[in-house]
Amino acid sequence: MHFEATAPVREPLERTIHTSIEGVYPFSAIVGQDRLKRALLLCAVNPEICGVLIRGEKGTAKSTAVRSLAALLPAIDVISGCPFACDPHSPSEMCERCRNDLAPGVESRRVGVFTLPLNATEDRISGGIDFRQAVKGGARVFEPGLLASVHRGILYVDEVNLLEDHLVDIILDAAATGVNRVEREGLSLRHPSRFVLVGTMNPEEGELRPQLLDRFGLCVEVAGEKDPAARIELMRRREAFDMNNAAFVEKWRLKDQRFTDAIGQAQSMLTAVEITAEQRAQMSRICQEACVAGHRADLMMERCARTIAAVEGRTKVLTADIQEAATFVLPHRIRQNEPPPSALPPPMEEPKDDGPVSENNEPAGGEATSNSTSAENDFSDNGQTPPESSNFLEERIFAIGQTFNVRRIEVRKDRIARRGSGRRSHTRSANKSGRYVKNRIAEDFEDIALDATLRAAAPYQNQRSSSNLAVEIHRTDIRKKIRQRKISNFIVFAVDASGSMGAKKRMISTKGAIMSLLLDAYRMRDRIAMVGFRKSDAEVLLPPTNSVSVASRLLQTLPTGGRTPLSAGLVRAFELARTRLYKDPFLRPILIFITDGRGNVPLNHDAKPASEALSIAAKMATENRINYIVVDTEGGGFMKFGLAGSLARNLKAKHYRIENLRANDLVRMVKEYKHA
Amino acid sequence: MHNYDTYPFAAIVGQEQMKLALILNVINPTLSGVLIRGEKGTAKSTAVRALAEILPEIDVVPSCPFNLTVAGENECCDLCTNVKCRQGTENGETVSDKSKVQVVELPVNATEDRVVGTLDIEHALKTGEKRFEPGLLAAAHRGILYADEVNLLDDHIIDILLDSAAMGKNTVEREGVSFTHPARFVLVGTMNPEEGELRPQLLDRFGLCVQIKGIDDPQQRVLVMERRTAFDENPEAFSRPYSDASTDLADRIHHAIERYSQVSIDQESMLEIAKLCISVGVDGHRADIVTLKTAKTLCAYEGRKKVTKEDINRAAEMALPHRVRRQPFEEIAAGPLELRRGVAS
Repeated sequence: MHFEATAPVREPLERTIHTSIEGVYPFSAIVGQDRLKRALLLCAVNPEICGVLIRGEKGTAKSTAVRSLAALLPAIDVISGCPFACDPHSPSEMCERCRNDLAPGVESRRVGVFTLPLNATEDRISGGIDFRQAVKGGARVFEPGLLASVHRGILYVDEVNLLEDHLVDIILDAAATGVNRVEREGLSLRHPSRFVLVGTMNPEEGELRPQLLDRFGLCVEVAGEKDPAARIELMRRREAFDMNNAAFVEKWRLKDQRFTDAIGQAQSMLTAVEITAEQRAQMSRICQEACVAGHRADLMMERCARTIAAVEGRTKVLTADIQEAATFVLPHRIRQNEPPPSALPPPMEEPKDDGPVSENNEPAGGEATSNSTSAENDFSDNGQTPPESSNFLEERIFAIGQTFNVRRIEVRKDRIARRGSGRRSHTRSANKSGRYVKNRIAEDFEDIALDATLRAAAPYQNQRSSSNLAVEIHRTDIRKKIRQRKISNFIVFAVDASGSMGAKKRMISTKGAIMSLLLDAYRMRDRIAMVGFRKSDAEVLLPPTNSVSVASRLLQTLPTGGRTPLSAGLVRAFELARTRLYKDPFLRPILIFITDGRGNVPLNHDAKPASEALSIAAKMATENRINYIVVDTEGGGFMKFGLAGSLARNLKAKHYRIENLRANDLVRMVKEYKHA
Repeated sequence: MHNYDTYPFAAIVGQEQMKLALILNVINPTLSGVLIRGEKGTAKSTAVRALAEILPEIDVVPSCPFNLTVAGENECCDLCTNVKCRQGTENGETVSDKSKVQVVELPVNATEDRVVGTLDIEHALKTGEKRFEPGLLAAAHRGILYADEVNLLDDHIIDILLDSAAMGKNTVEREGVSFTHPARFVLVGTMNPEEGELRPQLLDRFGLCVQIKGIDDPQQRVLVMERRTAFDENPEAFSRPYSDASTDLADRIHHAIERYSQVSIDQESMLEIAKLCISVGVDGHRADIVTLKTAKTLCAYEGRKKVTKEDINRAAEMALPHRVRRQPFEEIAAGPLELRRGVAS
């Protein structure tokens, strides 16, 4: 079965791939979720639609639907024995071997749905050197990876928003070009890799980069069924399935078969579907009105509308088709032009396309809009001030104030981020707790990537006079692991939300600054947490998260008023940071206290609030893995206590005054720590 | 046959909810696990171990790293290192052994390669062949995977655990190996919420959730001390009186497994579950499904064949608390009271 040593590509092992249908819940048995099913069908009919992104809450049959799709897909013709499943009918896309084969055998095979396992490493995604053949024959033979198997199939990425960045990049690159380029382990080759990318995500867990978002042709939102009758049906079917897989699948097989037939029919119809110039104009108008960046949306909408017509068995596109296509193509691409209705920055997912942003490669979400937000909110900073005499104990909710101009810092910041992350992986090589994602040539013997080392050594085994071992490893073969971690930084905001913070709307600008940092943290994939202290106690408003939308919603509704339990706030924030340190001792949490330092509620009933807070602060300062920043919000005027200053001294913290609390400054402060 | 190293299940004082949740999962593994939230030193791991001890033995291929029932039944056998069993199969022998249900512990510092398995380096160096060295997920197949302090595990490891638990198999695409093997296990996670929360997505994947705390009643506490000391002094003498109770429980579990398929639930009760889940506000449909299954399992365990309202209420207490949509800062409510109210309305 194996190629001669000269052949560059190893044949795939004979083994059942993930297309086995047994134990998979049938597609047609999924209750409701019509739009989700429709989108998947459209993709199955026309792979040029470039995939679907399924967004929605947990437990809504997202994964079930995708996995069940495999059973529906009609068979395709492939060249026998080709590891890339080359299409015998399109010579231009063949791999080298098939192109040179004048009379290739053809066989019929099901389209595969491949799940990207959460633990995948780079070498298995893009493929790498075949270890066995390298050792035995000294030949550099390519062992195809996931991107080869998935050619002409469907690649399913569960929780795509949680996938490591650089794995995402490899997959995106292949998805965009239809080619997988391999330049590793002494191999240099390209092979076709055209696939439909299906991703699922739960937006609660953080959004997707806009760049990645745009790659998905369609987007559907799923939600749970609200109708009790449907929920009952759902329970009934699921239970029947779990009790007897085989019988249940058998029962639904005919219905599934109908879908398969429909897909086949629609596919044969697709090329005949016509679209008029007028309709094209209509579509680009829709896109323009939706303020969609780039032309991908137009293109996708046309493909989608044509596919819809084909599925409906028509050769003409109707306006209804275009409208339906728009509901799939636009949601994740719409760029909000008007200032958002509230002071809340819009969700992160909008692709931004402003000129200056192109300076950095990753257009960051929320960028352009933070300007409009600031413009909109300028009035609140300079505008009416609440009466000075307003009762501090009264509870009020202030809007989020001016967010700073992200763009200017962004350019500098981005560069630092890259260097920073490079450095991070360096200093952390001693800490072997990250995820092993790829390898590189090692300069020392720490954290060796054994698999990669073996692969590197393999081709030379013929020349090396071997001892008892089959593989002899030399110094130059050693590769080390490059690990990646999800948590890059951890910032705790401890916000004094007592009544005194409400004066002169200080809370508004404070909230604005916090918001800016939240946006920044989003881009840096930082984790953030928020502690609020007011009235009698401090509470963790936001446990460590990287979801900015949750944080901003929370910030929006954070009330101000009541007394100041400063000690409680200190302790709570400290505990939060220390908990993270248990989990990750290499973390350097940053605690930012935003307060005027006027604590008037002690933890211990007998203690004096001010001195208690200061002694707690001094104790906290002994934990030198945590960095502290105190932002002093005490206003000017004749009554100055300078309490926050003492607090900062005891904490050994950097101390900044509210007058200087320009958002930019706060960000720089944090940044200094982050990269120190 | 009795192993006296393990504290007897029947001798555990209190913690009824936790014991019940564990038993239900053993009866019906599709409940997809238990999350035990609570303080340290509350007999969590003792209970898991003790339960495994009394479970009926399972048939396994001798020294099979994947705990398979029949040799060569799975594709993972193709790449397996256990040569002896392959030779046996080729000779037409069916080798099978009785084995206790395994409890595999996942340490907090577990690395990904140990969990999912990795390249067998020794084999690669010696022979130049690639072989897969199975990890904890393979060892836990058909057993119990006990993840202590699950909230302190790295996120991606929890992801893998839950993914395998949900799919019933472990797919490996790393370090040059590409491999799939079955991994069906009862996942038991414990956590102390004070040390950090689990992401809602992950919480949702645990079928049941029980809150436990130390026993408040002084007399019960004395009982705990007495029993523990007695056990430590002479495990055998201590355990003997409980062996009947253990056998009874094992029988009961066995009968419940058989009875489960006969348990029925009427339309009205299903409606009640659906309404309950809608009214307390859960994301998605896992809550409905798990509540239904739990109620049915409870019913089977109690020796009945028709799900009652009480079954649903008790099921909801374990299946819903961790799924109720809440503000990020809200604690997971113990909530049975509110949930009950939801049922009543």
